[in-house]
Amino acid sequence: MIEQLGNGLLLGVIIALGSVALSLLYGVTRIVNFAHGEIIALGAVMTLFFSSSPDSSLLFFDRYSPIGINFFGSIVISIILCGIFGASLEIFLFRPLRKNNFGNIAVLVVTIGLSIFLRHIYLLFASAKPSSFILELQRREDYFGIQLTPRNVQVLVLGFIVMILVGLFLTYTKTGKAMRAVRDSSDLASVSGINSDNIILVTWIFSSMLAGFTGIIQGVINNVRWNMGFLILLLIFAGTVLGGIGTSFGAMFGGFVIGVLVQLSVGLEFMDGHTEAKNALALGLMILILLIRPQGIFGTKDRIS
Amino acid sequence: MNKYITASLLLLGCIAYIFSSNDTGSSRVFVNLITFAGVYGLAAIGINVHFGWTGLLNFGHAAFMGIGAYTTVLLIPHSLGREGVVISTGLPLPIAIIFGLIASALLGLLLGLPTLRLRGDYLAIVTIAAAEIFRLLVRDFENLTGGVYGIIQFSDSLQVYRPNFVDVISTRYDVSSAQLWVAILTWISIVLVIIILSRLQKSPWGRALRAVREDEDAVRALGKNAVWLKLQSFMLGAAIGGLSGIFLVFNYGTVQASTFVPVLTFYIWAALILGGVGSLGGPALGAIIFWVIIAGTDSISRLLFESPDGQQLAGVRFVIVGLLIMLFMIFRPSGILGKKEELLLDVK
Repeated sequence: MIEQLGNGLLLGVIIALGSVALSLLYGVTRIVNFAHGEIIALGAVMTLFFSSSPDSSLLFFDRYSPIGINFFGSIVISIILCGIFGASLEIFLFRPLRKNNFGNIAVLVVTIGLSIFLRHIYLLFASAKPSSFILELQRREDYFGIQLTPRNVQVLVLGFIVMILVGLFLTYTKTGKAMRAVRDSSDLASVSGINSDNIILVTWIFSSMLAGFTGIIQGVINNVRWNMGFLILLLIFAGTVLGGIGTSFGAMFGGFVIGVLVQLSVGLEFMDGHTEAKNALALGLMILILLIRPQGIFGTKDRIS
Repeated sequence: MNKYITASLLLLGCIAYIFSSNDTGSSRVFVNLITFAGVYGLAAIGINVHFGWTGLLNFGHAAFMGIGAYTTVLLIPHSLGREGVVISTGLPLPIAIIFGLIASALLGLLLGLPTLRLRGDYLAIVTIAAAEIFRLLVRDFENLTGGVYGIIQFSDSLQVYRPNFVDVISTRYDVSSAQLWVAILTWISIVLVIIILSRLQKSPWGRALRAVREDEDAVRALGKNAVWLKLQSFMLGAAIGGLSGIFLVFNYGTVQASTFVPVLTFYIWAALILGGVGSLGGPALGAIIFWVIIAGTDSISRLLFESPDGQQLAGVRFVIVGLLIMLFMIFRPSGILGKKEELLLDVK
């Protein structure tokens, strides 16, 4: 079981980052964004597109040749593009819906349509086979009894740093405080002179950039595929529900716990030979949490009924 | 009345399209399409009971369809898995179908209990997760379900009931008699289900359900158990979904882990939103139009790509499905036949 701990920490960081982005967006806009997974995939797909060399025998883009710029440069470009994408979603789709008093359920169905639409756009532009970033292969080494490649250790540290930065941003900056104010009560926030439209736009950008980053580290750790967002989204939902939907630190914690648990469960005896069932276990756990404590560990009751 | 004229014109246009775009074997295409439309229409009627009547968001319909289908098929004579283990004894089909419907309803009860007390979007998350759990478990527990190898050779249980006139028609028009029989049964079931539902809708129970959708607190104040009403509606829709799943596998003649994937649910939602949420006949009409659109998207694929492979065909189909769901939800949420005042679009 301990040999899975390294993988568990990695998955935990991915899901924690994805959960905090989803939960923040939900808290501020009340949108359960089923297209969140597709924004995660967008970060990975674009990084792959920018970083792979044009003559690489990559199967992913069989009709469009990759651009082939520096890997770190392409990460930065992809994250910025994810932010722009999030902003355009808000400006051209969700803001008009909000102004026309669309109900939450109608918006939820729209995000489901958006998710199907985007995911299959990726499928059309890319191939169905998973691909990896152009990075050299590394051997696993021993860190305090946990087996990880040096790159994955870097990703792990980077992921934790980003989580701390997100926490500091939400707690101490003016924008972060305004986001939390709108989340807690948009009426009171606008009375205090906060322009909630601007804050919602900033939240979309912030959440999308964070999602894009999540996708990139997921791509570094595992691989890039067109439907990677949908698969991870369900685990992100599980993490968010565990921590408390609408919370930020709760979602981070819940996501991390779900990631570690899912990966550790692979080592359990009755899971032997049922590798796929580990995700089922996490989703089953989510349903159980909803039965026992629907607001999650850190959530408050007013959000749920 | 206007929308019924629109609906009839659309339906005529669809049939004309099928017969004009296929020079050879158009009757075969027609029967194939009408079978799938029937199955999806029946499934969409199930979601309509959830969403249209009660305002419940069910995005895991594939699981309800699947559990009904697997339960039924496993109870009748079949051949299972990689080795094709033949199980030649089993229950008579009608009894197996009843067990299948009960299984679907029980899954509805199981998923509904923890979530129906909560706000609407939790149910969406839980049902979508349940569909994924169902797919993973079916794939993983090969001993029971046959996994990716699936279950075959169970169709005879249905086809022994096939009356003579079906064979006469199918030889005259050169179509598969087995599929025609499934199509006839599916559409008979749709008519029966619609008749039952229209009676239920007018009953005190149906009025109470709509009241739950409109204002749950008012229902509670009148002494009705709103959660139990929602659960009943959830189980009823789940059982209708199970019935459509049974017809789906009898149409294929096989059932594998890939038959009931979560995306199946989104096809059905697209059909429902097209036809009209909240109306009785809307889902069935939507399913026909939906399948004609799907057939049309394949010609779009041929325009975009020289010789589209399966992946490109699926990609274009789903891009269109996603767009349809989005555009109809934004610009005409009541679909072709629905009533706008019968729509619940806010979270309760």
